[in-house]
Amino acid sequence: MPPSMTESSANKLINGDVCHRTANGKKSSGRNGFVKNHCLFQQPQQKKYRRPSEKNNHAVRNASLYNKPFVEQFEETPLLVAVLTYVGYGILTIFGYLRDFLRNWGVEKCHVASERDEQKDFVPLYQDFENFYTRNLYMRIRDNWNRPICSVPGAKMDLVERTSKDYNWTFEHTGKVVKDVINMGSYNYLGFAENTGRCADSATGSTHKYGVGVGSTRSEMGNLDIHEELEQLVARFLGVESSMAFGMGFATNSMNIPALAGKGCLILSDELNHASLVLGARLSGATIRVFKHNNMVSLEKLLRDAIVHGQPRTHRPWKKMLILVEGIYSMEGSIVRLPEVIALKKHYKAYLYLDEAHSIGALGPRGGGVVDYFGLDPKDVDIMMGTFTKSFGAAGGYIGGKRELIDYLRSHSHSSIYATAMSPPVSQQIITSMKIIMGEDDTTLGAERLKQLSENTIYFRRKLREMGFIIYGNNDSPVVPMMLYMPAKIGAFGREMLKRNIGTVVVGFPATPIIESRARFCVSAAHTRDMLDTALEAIGEVGDVLQVKYSRHHDFPSSLGPWSSAESLLLEPSHVKSSCHITN
Amino acid sequence: MNVGVAHSEVNPNTRVMNSRGIWLTYALGVGMLHIVLLSIPFFSVPVVWTLTNVIHNFGMYVFMHAVKGTPFETPDQGKARLLTHWEQLDYGVQFTSSRKFFTISPIILYVASRHLEQEIFSCKFLHEVRHNTLCHKHCFPFECADPQIATTTRSPHLWHQQVLS
Repeated sequence: MPPSMTESSANKLINGDVCHRTANGKKSSGRNGFVKNHCLFQQPQQKKYRRPSEKNNHAVRNASLYNKPFVEQFEETPLLVAVLTYVGYGILTIFGYLRDFLRNWGVEKCHVASERDEQKDFVPLYQDFENFYTRNLYMRIRDNWNRPICSVPGAKMDLVERTSKDYNWTFEHTGKVVKDVINMGSYNYLGFAENTGRCADSATGSTHKYGVGVGSTRSEMGNLDIHEELEQLVARFLGVESSMAFGMGFATNSMNIPALAGKGCLILSDELNHASLVLGARLSGATIRVFKHNNMVSLEKLLRDAIVHGQPRTHRPWKKMLILVEGIYSMEGSIVRLPEVIALKKHYKAYLYLDEAHSIGALGPRGGGVVDYFGLDPKDVDIMMGTFTKSFGAAGGYIGGKRELIDYLRSHSHSSIYATAMSPPVSQQIITSMKIIMGEDDTTLGAERLKQLSENTIYFRRKLREMGFIIYGNNDSPVVPMMLYMPAKIGAFGREMLKRNIGTVVVGFPATPIIESRARFCVSAAHTRDMLDTALEAIGEVGDVLQVKYSRHHDFPSSLGPWSSAESLLLEPSHVKSSCHITN
Repeated sequence: MNVGVAHSEVNPNTRVMNSRGIWLTYALGVGMLHIVLLSIPFFSVPVVWTLTNVIHNFGMYVFMHAVKGTPFETPDQGKARLLTHWEQLDYGVQFTSSRKFFTISPIILYVASRHLEQEIFSCKFLHEVRHNTLCHKHCFPFECADPQIATTTRSPHLWHQQVLS
């Protein structure tokens, strides 16, 4: 029986045509009859003896809020692999202790900083246990990171060849250059990382006009007309009233959240939010509560608890509640459930801060990010933040929203008062690339690139799944994390891929949970089908050698159905009424 | 690997004991230790059980209650440097399932060692097992010798008489 609801529009949607397997059939008769469940998104019926084989595999409960299928998968770690991963870390720990013992007793040369002999009796200067992981695990496979690139990081790049004679403690450049390495790690979603073409020419032109440095902050003498033009263009691109641009993407988050929230406010932040959002939230002094990743039930519970109980000791109402989410989470490849978040925020009167660092330009039929992807109104999102680093081939970040909000930020943000303004060639690069994406430069280059990106994404993800790898995330996200699990395979994968002339990014503990080490691929519009095929062949080969094809869903290709063609789903917002797509 | 920390977890050490498969790994580790000790020829079974207990307790003490801090840098300005791993578990929340499991497991190990070092590998139990299986295979139950005899008398030659009858 449907619980009694108030007559808001969000609830009308829920009481509408919802798949009968979704949550609305929950009975509240199990509890005492006086408590009616007013939750928007209720707990699904707890079936007994259900053994989910997929973790975090949320059924789309309110399917009528979405206009296209929302398919996300996070296949659970096979138990044997988890056990072997722990065994691997255990062996590494034991050997780490052994090596530390040898270093302590002088048998092995110690490369880490240590105190001078005459200071040995003083209070220790270096915490050597905190360095345990770095010197015993990270140093062994350090050659997979910080590789010097000596060309444009486009679809192909050149790497400086390095060797190490003392097991990665120091590197030497051999003087040779590894040419034409396929770049699967750069956030180059639309392929604007190039040194020829219209963007580069216009950036060169603006360097001739303005120089490179600005020499001041925005508030003092650094407000150029190119900044004003950029901000108006960004506002038009996003569909908001006004926007402001900053020189650094990380600083946009960490310097502006303190201006928006303070003591007495509540920040609800997703579990997997980026370090910049976390830092900004901590600097603001507000109370931070974390909800489970992309889990609307958890978020709703936190909202309700906050409204009911108020601030921790005084029980006064919160001054404001701010929900921090990202568009695409780059480590998981998942897309935020924006329609549900907006429904929640309207119902409970909270504010929404959306960080579209990876999704702006990469999702949506017009490249407008997650708001465009779901076909929602940009005015529903109170603060739209994003970066220019990923899809626009520049650097910096922006915040868009209502005029009053942006005017407030212009005077109250730390970035505008203290940080140097954006450099003119970078601003010009953003202006030119944004105009190309919007199609205002009278070519179809933008539309072609958007289409190419979505085709590449779908093709790449489908092929990797078919090969049997475990891939996390949404089917439409250009960030593709591929699970490796074991610590030794992290290093082996990076090195083997480099031998086959493909550059990848691998990540392990503690940047990810202990058993979930992964390789992260970023698909780009600049990749041609041949490049992707070469890369896929190499990945398949390395996957066979390292035995990382862990997926147990071998029937996946047949169940793809109408999505198996490489057609772009994102060109037209298909108003297909989504059926029940409980992904199992 | 400080490549773009993927989560807002301040101290990843707190979640390690809750991860998938770690309890199983721990149980298998103790089992492996026991088997390795069993295969050393000059240790008798009670000694092996004692050694398993002692080594397990010593190892858990060192790793969970003696070593302080984290083997990596955490963004909490060193709050965890003074805490042992046990204190760091779940950020200090008491009576979580991991804590209960790791509290109960040495007790179970001890109780198991007390029980099993006497019963399983002693002659009496083996004889009883052999007698029961042979009896039920080859004779009808009422033709068998009185089952009480198997439990009361323990002399080997009497047992042989009953089997051959």
